[in-house]
Amino acid sequence: MAPSSGRVPEPESRKTVGINKETVSNTVSTDFPDNYPDGDESWDKDWFAQNLKIEFHQNDDYEAQFSLIGVDASIANAFRRILIAEIPTLAVETVFIQNNTSVVQDEVLSHRLGLIPFTGGKEGIRDWMKWWHKPVEGADQYSTTYDHNTVQLKLQVECTHNKDAAPDEKDPTKLYHNAHVYAKDIVYEPAGAQEQYFSGDNIIRPTNPDILIAKMRPGQVIDLEMHMHKGIGADHSKFSPVATASYRLMPVIKILKPILGDDAKKFQECFMPGTIKLEKVTKQHVKANKEYAGHEGEVMAAVDNPLYDTVSREVLRHPEFEGKVKLGRKRDHFIFSIESTGQWESDELFLESIKTLKTKSQKLQTQVQNMVYTYSG
Amino acid sequence: MSREAYQIPTSQGAGGPGAGNAAVAGRAVDNEGLPMLYICGDCGTKFPLKRGDTIRCIECGCRVLYKERTRRMVQFEAR
Amino acid sequence: MPSRTKKTEQPEDASMEDVPTSAQPDQETGDAMQEDEFAENGGSGNGEEEEDTVQRVRILPGSSPTAASFEFLEEGHTLGNALRYIIMKNPDVEFCAYSIPHPSEAKMNIRIQTYDTTTATAALAKGLKDLEDLCDVVADKFWTERNRFTEAGRMESD
Repeated sequence: MAPSSGRVPEPESRKTVGINKETVSNTVSTDFPDNYPDGDESWDKDWFAQNLKIEFHQNDDYEAQFSLIGVDASIANAFRRILIAEIPTLAVETVFIQNNTSVVQDEVLSHRLGLIPFTGGKEGIRDWMKWWHKPVEGADQYSTTYDHNTVQLKLQVECTHNKDAAPDEKDPTKLYHNAHVYAKDIVYEPAGAQEQYFSGDNIIRPTNPDILIAKMRPGQVIDLEMHMHKGIGADHSKFSPVATASYRLMPVIKILKPILGDDAKKFQECFMPGTIKLEKVTKQHVKANKEYAGHEGEVMAAVDNPLYDTVSREVLRHPEFEGKVKLGRKRDHFIFSIESTGQWESDELFLESIKTLKTKSQKLQTQVQNMVYTYSG
Repeated sequence: MSREAYQIPTSQGAGGPGAGNAAVAGRAVDNEGLPMLYICGDCGTKFPLKRGDTIRCIECGCRVLYKERTRRMVQFEAR
Repeated sequence: MPSRTKKTEQPEDASMEDVPTSAQPDQETGDAMQEDEFAENGGSGNGEEEEDTVQRVRILPGSSPTAASFEFLEEGHTLGNALRYIIMKNPDVEFCAYSIPHPSEAKMNIRIQTYDTTTATAALAKGLKDLEDLCDVVADKFWTERNRFTEAGRMESD
């Protein structure tokens, strides 16, 4: 292994994607061996560990924002794709309708039920629940249904007249009982050993109880049973554990020439609040940059926190800022935003995504070892 | 789940299993023994109808009748 | 034709196996492969299924020890692009690229051409190992940083 000391990090110019008025430049990563005469770009685990930085911006239960610095786009994208498509979740898979006289058709109702996100005991869902497989052709329909791979839910609502409503009442929720069917009306029925994992705080319940499923009028009934199974987002998006997971690259704003006075105020308004700050020119500024000489005391524009910028390129539309500012993005700084739907916590989700990629590579290593040579004749 | 496999209706009206039930041959019942109700198009009253009865609502005389939704369980994939 | 260990009849239709032969010199199990640490079985391809897993990686016909194409089943851009990047970071690799022959089929082809210092299969194995190491490093740093952030948040609110 090449010694990690003495290795030079990539210069800023190589790491910045240029954002110009109508083009984007320098987008492709070139950090491969033998591309440049200086510096060694070959894979070194310790060098990677040294350079990798992670900074959290927000870590609530179901929403996390953090920066991943020092990886390539292909790796960050792999994590993002796994977050969306390959982390197993529980969702309603089969709906058994006993009676549905509402105006929502059976299949539409079933589709909606499938999309409702559920939450429940983590240990139960992740470690104990197993996968469900469709029974072999000809075998009994329920031969593969067990307590360790199926969750049973019931939804039984009937809409009736409300005799106590005011005579001139117009609001259907007051005129009738159960006119609106919400996700909170879904009842979980524990089976077998499920009580051990899914009781008390851990019961299987919808993450958002106020999701409206259907509307009914008196005399209409919805009476159905549902089975939930484990699945992955690649199969159907109802199994995706994230509302969405996305990343953006860290913007770079470079002020090349001084922007003073009213121009500075206009400059600040071209960006999102918090990106640009207005300062007074001081002796330090003049010392650092000769171009500020003679403007002491004037208002000048300086970059505060580029994290808040949404790169609208508004600045490039104004001729007075031509040549004074350079926009760009840092190619290896990813600001991830992970919004979970409730079965996993956002930070655990990212960790699970990394674990999944690792398991994938491990399994494939074994496969490569067993690989068979096939020569054509 | 209420009952077994779907039985194809024959013109004799389930001649096989119903052979011994001559007394109930005239009633319009489904397999569960609950009366099959028809719903009037205008007034919405539910009432039973036997084979050979005139197709008319008993309340308002409307001739457009709807059949009740089946009591059989239907299964769907939530996709 | 290289000898096959199975006596099964080949189907009448031309399969991909019968496509124009490689320009490389015909090798049985290849003496050049003796350098490899990995044991390889000669004989027919995907006939043998292991206990639980189906073989999901194979070498495509027309490959030589230093220039080979591999086919991964049930993989796509998620693994393809990441693996390609890691393999390209190997200074012994001259060329590495991946493609998905048709979006309706879950197959991913990766081509690796190496200098004489190593073989394509070794580069692939190293790439997978490096990817595993990368995951370890990221997971470690992520969890440490996350704990630090939660602690800092807790101390602030106290």
